[in-house]
Amino acid sequence: MSGLGWRASWRIARRDLHLGFRGLRLLFLCLFLGVATLAAIGSLTAAITQELRDRGRVILGGDVEIGMTQREASLGDKEAFRQLGILSETIRLRAMAQRVGGGTDSVPPAILTELKGVDAAYPLYGAVTLRSGNYQPLAADRILIGEALAERLALRPGDQLRYGGALFTIQAVIAQEPDRLGEGFTLGPVAIVSLDGLRRTGLIQPGSLYSSKYRIRLEPRYDPATVVKDWEKARAGEGWTFKERDRAAPGANRFIERMGQFLSLIGLAALVIAGIGVSNGVASYLAGKRGGIATLKVLGATSADIARIYRLQIGAVALLGIGAGLIVGAALPPLIVALAGDVLPVSPGFRLHPLPLATSAGYGLLIAFLFTFPPLGRARTQPAAAIFRSAIEGGARIDRRGVAAMTLAAALLIGLALVSARDPLFAASVLGAVGLVLLLLLALGLAVSRIARRLPRPRRPLLRLALANLHRPGAQTAALIVALGLALTLFVTLAGIQTSLDSEIRNVVPKKAPAQIVLDIPAPQKARFERLVRAEAPEAQLNIVPVLRGTITAYGRQRVADLAELPEGAWFLRGERGVTYSAVLPEGSELVAGRWWPKDYRGPPLVSLDAEAAKTLGIGVGGTLTISILGREIEARIASLRKVNWDTMGFNYILVFPPATLQSAPHSLASTITMDAGHDAAVTRALLAAFPGVSVIAVGEVIDQIGTILTQMARAILVAASVAILAGIAVLVGAIAASRQARSYDSVILKTLGATRGQLLLGQALEYGLLATVLAGVALGLGSLAAWVVIVQIFDFRWAPDWAIVLATLGGGALLTLGIGLAGSLPLLSVRPARALRQM
Amino acid sequence: MLSDTVDAPIAVDAANVTLMLGTRDAPVSILKGVDLAIPLGQSLAILGPSGSGKSSLMAVLSGLERATGGSVRVGGVDFTTLDEDGLARARRGRIGIILQAFHLLPTMTALENVAVPLELAGHADAFAMAAEELRAVGLGHRIDHYPAQLSGGEQQRVAIARAVVGRPTLLFADEPTGNLDAATGAAIMDLLFDRQAAAAATLVIITHDPVLARRCQRIIEMQDGRIVADRAA
Repeated sequence: MSGLGWRASWRIARRDLHLGFRGLRLLFLCLFLGVATLAAIGSLTAAITQELRDRGRVILGGDVEIGMTQREASLGDKEAFRQLGILSETIRLRAMAQRVGGGTDSVPPAILTELKGVDAAYPLYGAVTLRSGNYQPLAADRILIGEALAERLALRPGDQLRYGGALFTIQAVIAQEPDRLGEGFTLGPVAIVSLDGLRRTGLIQPGSLYSSKYRIRLEPRYDPATVVKDWEKARAGEGWTFKERDRAAPGANRFIERMGQFLSLIGLAALVIAGIGVSNGVASYLAGKRGGIATLKVLGATSADIARIYRLQIGAVALLGIGAGLIVGAALPPLIVALAGDVLPVSPGFRLHPLPLATSAGYGLLIAFLFTFPPLGRARTQPAAAIFRSAIEGGARIDRRGVAAMTLAAALLIGLALVSARDPLFAASVLGAVGLVLLLLLALGLAVSRIARRLPRPRRPLLRLALANLHRPGAQTAALIVALGLALTLFVTLAGIQTSLDSEIRNVVPKKAPAQIVLDIPAPQKARFERLVRAEAPEAQLNIVPVLRGTITAYGRQRVADLAELPEGAWFLRGERGVTYSAVLPEGSELVAGRWWPKDYRGPPLVSLDAEAAKTLGIGVGGTLTISILGREIEARIASLRKVNWDTMGFNYILVFPPATLQSAPHSLASTITMDAGHDAAVTRALLAAFPGVSVIAVGEVIDQIGTILTQMARAILVAASVAILAGIAVLVGAIAASRQARSYDSVILKTLGATRGQLLLGQALEYGLLATVLAGVALGLGSLAAWVVIVQIFDFRWAPDWAIVLATLGGGALLTLGIGLAGSLPLLSVRPARALRQM
Repeated sequence: MLSDTVDAPIAVDAANVTLMLGTRDAPVSILKGVDLAIPLGQSLAILGPSGSGKSSLMAVLSGLERATGGSVRVGGVDFTTLDEDGLARARRGRIGIILQAFHLLPTMTALENVAVPLELAGHADAFAMAAEELRAVGLGHRIDHYPAQLSGGEQQRVAIARAVVGRPTLLFADEPTGNLDAATGAAIMDLLFDRQAAAAATLVIITHDPVLARRCQRIIEMQDGRIVADRAA
């Protein structure tokens, strides 16, 4: 005779669910939480990336952009650009905006800004929107200022502003600059003038640090990627940079993708943790169905019939949980965008992104399958004779086919994570780490059971009961240890990450940070500069270095342009770097290999390279580097490697040349000024009066900006980790629920024998307390390791947790989990023995 | 001495049946070599004190438990060669079981409970047959009630209806009146024998009540995992 078909199985399954799916609420909640988190993170990342791509032209300001530093394109080059389409030329540099009439008590006399000179064709895409009026090409004496600049210097349209040797009248305040994001990180607010206006300032001099950008609106027959490729090939070695509209803001793209990847992995870890809750919840549910399952088997149901019936039930609830998670996850991004405000680079509108939703659903289904299989496997192989016996005895086992199915599901889960990850190795490491932690806790649970069984029986009955509960047949010790261990480990991990990040934020300012950094000091005016500063701040310490910009175009025989992908950690190969020359070993550097050149060295070009950079590239002393400076390639032999101390906030360079190599190239000087507080304003005034073209950076403001970014990152990590914590708590609740049946029986019998509710609670507290004590050390170790990996390996920060807070968090977390455990036991205390005994 | 049905075909044939339960560290010998042949249509009571192995013998004969040793043939099928699923399939339509604690599915109505074995056996008109059987046991007015809404006697009636609805050739009842008062218990036993006769089934009743045992054609007594007496009632 054939057994139940799917339709009949569904009929029976549905009947069984008619009382609602009370027992499967934990399954629903865990899947909902995990899938919603993944879907939200994935959708938000996709939305921002899509927005960056869709608005690529506007963000870039063209279909392609060709850039160069400290020089402009030749007339011939500009003509060649015009052959491709409409050309727009912009020049951008850091410059001090000086308030006409000086400062007041609350308003500084000058601030550092990004000054941008644009031509009549700007912007090629998008529009400049102003607070009032419409944007028109600017006259040479007119300026548009950003809102932050207007606020900082208390300026309005009609007021005047000085840049270098030129005076401008403020035409309007900028509400939106279409290519702001494409400009990358800036140190100050923006101001826009015409190219003629920019030349009036006198700030564009040989050796000044400015960027020239040539944006082209291509004719339809040209493909941006091909154009960029052709130009890169033709002008390799000249230090030009190329961008096209699909990668208009590579820095923002990288950050969003990386952050999205990291948060997704936290979400995935949370989902795996939630999987434990799923398993516990389903185990508890099926334990409650034990009698029913045995009855069905007595009536002739095979294990396949049982599996079908309960798989349909569990599957229906799982699908509901996953579906609800997808809906919430898809709907959250607009809310996050609204709450995040300016933190995000763009503000995408609502759109459904099928790929992250499908991926999240895939994860949810695989997790549901993987973690419901063991309890379902036990239930389906439960013998019919269980109707006569209690849950103590075994007889149920997982069959080989079940193990194979679970292995396949696990492999698919790992495969999905690797395929969808930006960095598969990192993703594999995270999943591997989570899996290892789970296995470790599981092994610990089994070990605790074994050890508890061998310990001498305590005399006190409650302690004896607490200890016996750890190894009794049917005990949920392993599940409880996994749940408790996970929750405590997560608490410690979060505390370690949070306190290390706080320390990083606090310690961004080293003990002796410079007060100011001055750029664009004319090289011949070095002595005058020193005199001026000392006149205002006699005790000031100055570190003056020459500054140029260069691009590494080759290392050894490898041309950078020929690389399909930059080596991991080779950030310095991307775009231009600061380059300097020095006769002596620079401050803040330590020689670790090779030899420093003699002070009067005049031989073939040499270079001293940062040791970490050398390691990343796999080159050393004697190797060669080719650097393009001002359009000229210099092949230099590596004479030494230096260990650079980046924390001093002084001038630290990856590349240092001997004076003879670069002395004659047009360049300017930069200086740090370390002085007591109170001299800043006077020094700034004096310098601007003497050198209108210099830029004075207040280091404190930069630190504040970095601090803000770090705080925002910490907040995002905290939110994501909170989901993992919630999942951990759900797991704990599930583990407690799974053991409730046995505890209920104990409570009734003990009450019948005269135990008070206080004694029962004490017994529970002793049991959870024993487990928490065992786990405290393990959680501290595992959590600290996890936090170290995040802080040091992922974010490359210093490992500096506040151990007092970490330990307090561990203690607090243990108390919280103890509280949750006891709260879960409270319903048992109110069970009336007589009624319960009748029902048993 | 055996009953008049001794020449009838054998419904159950158990030879040297042993059963060991418990764990590897603490095994317990429940049945220690039981020989029993039950002809078709006979009513048999198994008497014995607590722990004598009565329920375990019933579990082995009904396929709820696999014997550790010996052989068990039911309706010509060798139960000792079947796995759990095989035993489940063997029970369908062949064996009906009534237990002391009723063991109705709490989330299903009386009608649904009775229909389940028919659904498992693939009957298309399971619910019609179930309704008819419930009416036969006097519960036609309670078919949509859940077990929690029924009295003990009513629940046992539903259990009886569920056991006989598939017209099994073999009925097992383990202390069917154990949870009921005397009057209700007597009514239940009347119903049970009535349904047994209607189905022309072999009936095996586990009981410690000699009065109930005497209603059967044959009584066997068990002690310490063995049959110590076998006589006509």
